[in-house]
Order: sequence, then C-alpha cells, then structure tokens
Amino acid sequence: MTRGLLYKAIFIICIVCFAVMLILPTIGENTLQIVLSQTSTEQDLQAVKQRFPESKYKVVVNDKEVLVEGYNLNVAVMNEIKRYPGVVDAKLLPHWAEKALLAKKINLGLDLQGGSYLVLQANYHKIEEKTGKPLTNAEKNEITEQALELLRNRVDKFGVAEPSIRPKGNDAIEIQLPGVKDPESVKKAIGTTGRVEYRLVDDAYTQKANQWLKEHYAGKGLPEDQLELNKLTDTIKNAIALPDSLELLYYYERNPQTAKLFPAYPIVLEKKVALAGNDISKAWVAPDEYQQLAVHFNTTPEGAAKFAEVTSEKNHGRKLAIVIDDKVRSAPSIRVQINTGQAIIQGDFTYEEVTALARIIKEGALPVDLKIIEERTVGPTLGIDSIQSGVKAFIVGIAGVMLFMLIYYKGAGIIADIGLLLNGIFMLALLSWLGFTLTLPGIAGFILTMGMAVDANVIIYERIKEELRTGKTPRAAVAQGFERAFWTIFDSNITTLLSAFVLSQFGTGPIKGFAVTLSIGIISSMFVALYITKFIFETITSRGSLKKLSI
Amino acid sequence: MEKIIPFIKYRFIAYAITITLIVIFSLQTYRNGGFNWGIDFVGGIKLTVKFEQGVDTAQIRKVLTQNKISAVIQQVGKEEDNEYLISTKLASRTENVEESTKELKTVIQSNFKNVEILSIETVGPAIGDFLKKSAGKLIALSIIIMTLYLAFRFELKYSIGAMVALLHDVILSILFCGFAGIEINIPIVAAILTIYGYSVNDTIIIFDRVRENLQIKTKQTFIDVIDKSITQTISRTLLTALTTLFAVFALYMIGGEGLNEFASVLLFGIVIGTYSSLYIASPFVLYWEKLAVRKA
Repeated sequence: MTRGLLYKAIFIICIVCFAVMLILPTIGENTLQIVLSQTSTEQDLQAVKQRFPESKYKVVVNDKEVLVEGYNLNVAVMNEIKRYPGVVDAKLLPHWAEKALLAKKINLGLDLQGGSYLVLQANYHKIEEKTGKPLTNAEKNEITEQALELLRNRVDKFGVAEPSIRPKGNDAIEIQLPGVKDPESVKKAIGTTGRVEYRLVDDAYTQKANQWLKEHYAGKGLPEDQLELNKLTDTIKNAIALPDSLELLYYYERNPQTAKLFPAYPIVLEKKVALAGNDISKAWVAPDEYQQLAVHFNTTPEGAAKFAEVTSEKNHGRKLAIVIDDKVRSAPSIRVQINTGQAIIQGDFTYEEVTALARIIKEGALPVDLKIIEERTVGPTLGIDSIQSGVKAFIVGIAGVMLFMLIYYKGAGIIADIGLLLNGIFMLALLSWLGFTLTLPGIAGFILTMGMAVDANVIIYERIKEELRTGKTPRAAVAQGFERAFWTIFDSNITTLLSAFVLSQFGTGPIKGFAVTLSIGIISSMFVALYITKFIFETITSRGSLKKLSI
Repeated sequence: MEKIIPFIKYRFIAYAITITLIVIFSLQTYRNGGFNWGIDFVGGIKLTVKFEQGVDTAQIRKVLTQNKISAVIQQVGKEEDNEYLISTKLASRTENVEESTKELKTVIQSNFKNVEILSIETVGPAIGDFLKKSAGKLIALSIIIMTLYLAFRFELKYSIGAMVALLHDVILSILFCGFAGIEINIPIVAAILTIYGYSVNDTIIIFDRVRENLQIKTKQTFIDVIDKSITQTISRTLLTALTTLFAVFALYMIGGEGLNEFASVLLFGIVIGTYSSLYIASPFVLYWEKLAVRKA
C-alpha cells in the first residue's frame, strides 16, 4: 500500500466511525423519565405501566419516579404520557452518544410518531375592509409575526414539548404538536381569535341579578357546564326583566388549585362594545405612581379616541369590564379621563394576577382572524406500524439489490455491497446530524435512493468491463473506467438533485422530507461510489501482479 | 465488430406503443370518471378508524348513507385489525370542513361502539387550490431547469430530446394514475417528479456516449452513432433500472397502505422512463438535427 492510499484509508475509517457514532442515539434504546406527583395513586401508576408493556420496555419504578427504557420512545410518547393523571413531568434522557458527541436523534415526522398538524389561515380581508386599503406584504408579515408569538404562548400553556409553530407563506401558520391525539382542546384555544372587548358595567342590574341569585340559588355554586349555565342565564334574565340593550355574563375567577376558570358571579354589561381588542397595541406590567403593580397599555390612534370617550366624566365611577370570549375577567373602575391612548389598570393585584391580566390583554389582541384550513392527526400506533413496514421494506429492498450485485458482478459486487452499506450509514448519519425530520415519504426516499445508489457502481463497472474488453490491464481499465464514468455520473446525479431541489420548494412537510432524503442519498452515494469504492479498487489493483478482475 | 441494435429503425413501433398506451389510458380514465384527485387537492376529510368488533364496509356505508354522507370506504391493514379508511371529498367549495368533520365523527361514534379514531386529515378547499397550482408549477419548473442544465452541459438538441422524453414520462405517469384509479395526492406528485429525475439519468448516460462516439471521427451517420451508443450503454441502462426496481418493488410489497400507490406509480414510471430514454429521447435529437440542417 502506498502512502497516499494509507492516508485515504485512515480518512475513510475516521468518517465511518464518526457516522456510526452519530446514529447511535437513533438506532439505540432511549430512556424516558416519568415523575409522578406526590398525590398520585396506585391506579395512576398502573395506567402508566400499562402503556409500556414489560415485554417491549424495561420499566423501573422507584418512589415517585418511573424509568422506561426501550425503542420507539420519542417526543410524542413523552407528550402523550404527560397527559396521564398523576404525571407531573416526563422527559427523555439523552443517550450517552448525545452527551459525549455531537450526535442527535433523527426527528420523526408526525406521520411516524403520531400527533396533530394544523394549518391556520389569516383572514386579511377583514382588516383590509376595515381600513379600506390593501395591506402590503411587510404589514402582513408583521401581523403574522404577532399572531405567531401569541400562538406560541397559547400552545406553551398546554405543556406540549417541542411544538413547531411557524409561518407558511405570508398568510398561513403551521402548527405541529407531536403526541397530541385529540387536538380539540388545543384547537379551541388557538383557533379562536380570543375576542377581547371592553364594555361598561351596569351596576343596577348587576345588583339585581346577584340579589335574585342569593334568594333562589343560595349555597350552590354556579354550574360549570355551559349548557346549564346558559339555562340559568335565561332564568335570571326573565326574573329581573333585563332590557335588550344589556347582556348578562359571568365574572370568571381562577381556581388556585386546578388553575381552571370557573364562573364566580353574574355581571350585567352594556351590549355596546366600548373598546375592542384590536384597539389595543401593547400591554405590559410596571409599577404605578404609588409603586403598586399595575397593567399599562397603549391603544392604537383610533382606540385612543374611543378610550377618551368611554373614560369621559360621565362614566367616572362606573366599571369597565374586560371581556374575553364572553367571560368577564376584570372590571376596574373608571376614575379619570384618558386622552393620551396610554392607560393603566390599577387595583389591589398580586404580581401573578397583574402579569396574568397583562397577558390576557395582550393575548386578546390576536391581530387577525385565523381559520383552520388543514388538519391532520395521526395516532401513535399507526406511526409505529409505518416505521416497522418501512424498515421491513428497506431490509428486503437492500437485500435484493445486494444479492443481485453479488451474483452479477461477483468480486466487484462485494465492493459495491460494502459501498451500499456504508451509504446507508452515511445517509442516516447526515440525516441526524443536520437535524432533518424523517417522514413516511422520507423512508420511501431512503429506500429508493438505496436502489439508485448502486447505479453509479453499475455505470463504472460496465465501463471497466468495456475497457477490459479492449485488452487493457485491470489497473488501467479501473483507472479509465472511473475517469470516464465520472462526468456521466456527475451529470445524471445533478439532474436528480435538481428535481429534488424543486421538490423541496413544495410547501408541504412530508414532500420536503422526501426531497431531503433523496438529495442526501445522491450526495452520499456519489461520495461512496467515486471515492470509497474507487479507493478499494485502487488498493486491490495497486499490487501490479493482479492478472484478472472479478467483475 | 460488435453487434449494433438498430433502435432508430424501430422507433415507429415505439411511437405506436406510446400512442396506444395514451389512448387506452385516456379512455379508461374517462370511464373511471376522470382523475381521482385526492383530498390534498380538492379538499375533504380522511378518517382512519379502528372498530372493536368486526364490521364490514357495507355496514359502514349503510350508516353513512342514512346520514346523507357519501364516502369512500376502504379496509386497511390486516383483516382482524378492523381498520378502515373513510374519505369524503368536499361537495362544494363553500362547505365548512370543520363542521363536516365533526358531523362525520359524531355519526361514526354514535353508530358503532368503541370506535378508535386513529387519524384524521382535513384539508380545506383553499389549500387544495394552492397545492394544485404549485404542483403544476413545480413540474413545469423542474422540466425547464433540467432542460437548461442539459443545454449547458451538452447542446440544445440534446436537451430538446430529453425534454420530449420527460414530457412523455409525465403525461404517461399521470394518465397511468387515471387509468388505475390511483388517487392523485401529494406523494404521487413527488413520485412523478422523481420519475423524471430518474428518466433523465438514463437519457444522460446515452447522450454522454453519443457525444463521446461523435468525437471518434469515422464515416458513420448520426443514426449509426446513436444506435451504436444505445447498444453500448443498454446493459447499464437496464441494470440501473433493475436495481432501482428491486428497491421500489420491496416498497410496493411491504410498504403498507401509505406507500403502496406511491410505489406503484414509481414502478410504472421507472419502466416507462427507461423505455423513453431508449426510444423517445434519441430520435428527437435526430429530428432536431435534421431540422437544423434543413434550415441551414
């Protein structure tokens, strides 16, 4: 072996080792740590254990912590288990290769790990109608950015780990929630505009309503069921003879234990909206002039005029209710007229309350109506089935190709097969290293590339055979074969790469996944065919004594 | 002297085959009631459900028709799994997808005991339009990009030949979907794009050889050079197609519902792509050459 070949050998061995280490966390077992709450029952624990049958997973229980070890543990499983009663937290422990190396697990697409995928479209027409002029793209982008920020906050509250929320084009937002099987609750929270309105309170009728309730409903809390609550509303409305210009809603409070909102007492408001959510541009928490925490907010120029009107002298002493999705969440009193478009809500608030209020005000101002235009949900079992059939197809496919190469090309076939295996390793390594998401079409792309990977070998081998037929020595034929085949391989692969590039421009996730695996496969197969298999051939033929090539 | 197969001479047989295929596929597509656009393109709902007890397609259909829902019902997976795919397309563009989804779910859940909904997909009409438009644009765009690349690496006449072959592959693949009643969804578009990426590979191998053989100055005609080049490269054209077919066939047999139709389009496409590289691409280079000579 010459010195040049030796260096090449060392280089190749290094790359292969690195690639193998990169894919360890993907193909190896993972550990999921589940923390149960102090009040969890034996039943809760059993439910968790049932989710992980001992035949497939290793489950260790110590005190209030459960460790599950096995395959197919991913973010979706983690999110799913978080929703179990009694579970406070769940997290995937990093694989040793992740800690020690740059290795990363391959992200699985929602179609493989299960979860929900939503696309929300922004309705700019409404805004355009209101302002009477078309929005520029920059304005649209800004609105989308605001909406994104808001949605992130809302989704975060659901405790979904690794949600992906990103703009799609300039009028849609794509949300991926791994492990969320039933997106209804999330949809409700993110899909509604979160209508915020500021409306004046009618004290007289509020008192009447509460009085009636005290007499006829004493001792009982208000029903939390929306239908029953609606029935009650109708009864009260009739009893106190509520005029048409007024509306009876409920003041909602948060249960400190469950953090759930519940109706606390009825409150009567004017139907007329004094100030709408989109009249407010900004809200934040800061101390007021008495060093007490208060919510400060800015209105838009149009909002400022409305606000001045509603806080004018005639309304002083009245309450202004902040209504979010027909729930009254705060009702501060009006004390002074505010003309500047800047206002504060003062009151005896705790820090938590005041930040919550600021958030509510901010959240309410979802700048644009969002409509769900696409929704896809995949259950976890369906995903695992897909992976398993994908892996099976992969093994059968690659075995068929390898066998064929071996029979057809004999000795050279072995080299091509080694190349094919290395190619598989490199592809997986690149996929996990670059942090791509593997989808079902991605697996198809992977298998397809495996079939196409030997193309380069076939082109080279056929060329070598031709050269041998002209009576060249093996060494010369190999050198000529590789040299002449190079541009052919390059051109034909570049065109496939071009179509993969075009595919990757297609908006939808799975197709991108397919295109990416295809591109990575082409690049890695070119490297393997033109560098590694060439190296093996050079090493074999470098001993000048070789008389015949097994090809 | 090696044996040369006169490909160019037999090209009319190939044209006849192509035209026959187009006619048969078109007629069958027409009889199938046009192309079967998937919900990705027209909007609609796709529900995968698992029933606890054995249910058959007729039972589900009966329940759905009673509730005035027209849907395609398909059993998926193993018989004993009781898993079904129920898909409905939007009846009109104004239909509210969210409402319809709720309705469908309620109908299924209230009529059958212990139904587990494994997956739901809903696509609104707007996104369908968008996808349809961009799918068409992408196919056109990638044909143009490839033609430009070939014109840059080879000569214009070669890229014309490759483009004709590409169009041939695209048209036949799409018609094949219509013929076989395969639902055209986004993965199928990806399959078609891959097919012609692949078809160009084969074509390039041949053109590369044509170019090489033209440099060897002999008294051969252009037709002879093409025939010689195709003959010399035919073993690798067929072998590369064969190894890819192994992989795609495995995908077709084992890939499961999600990949089955995708793989079948790929299978067809690889065969047709190989055939067009042999019989369609080169004759058109020849025609272009003749046209150029006549003009000059």
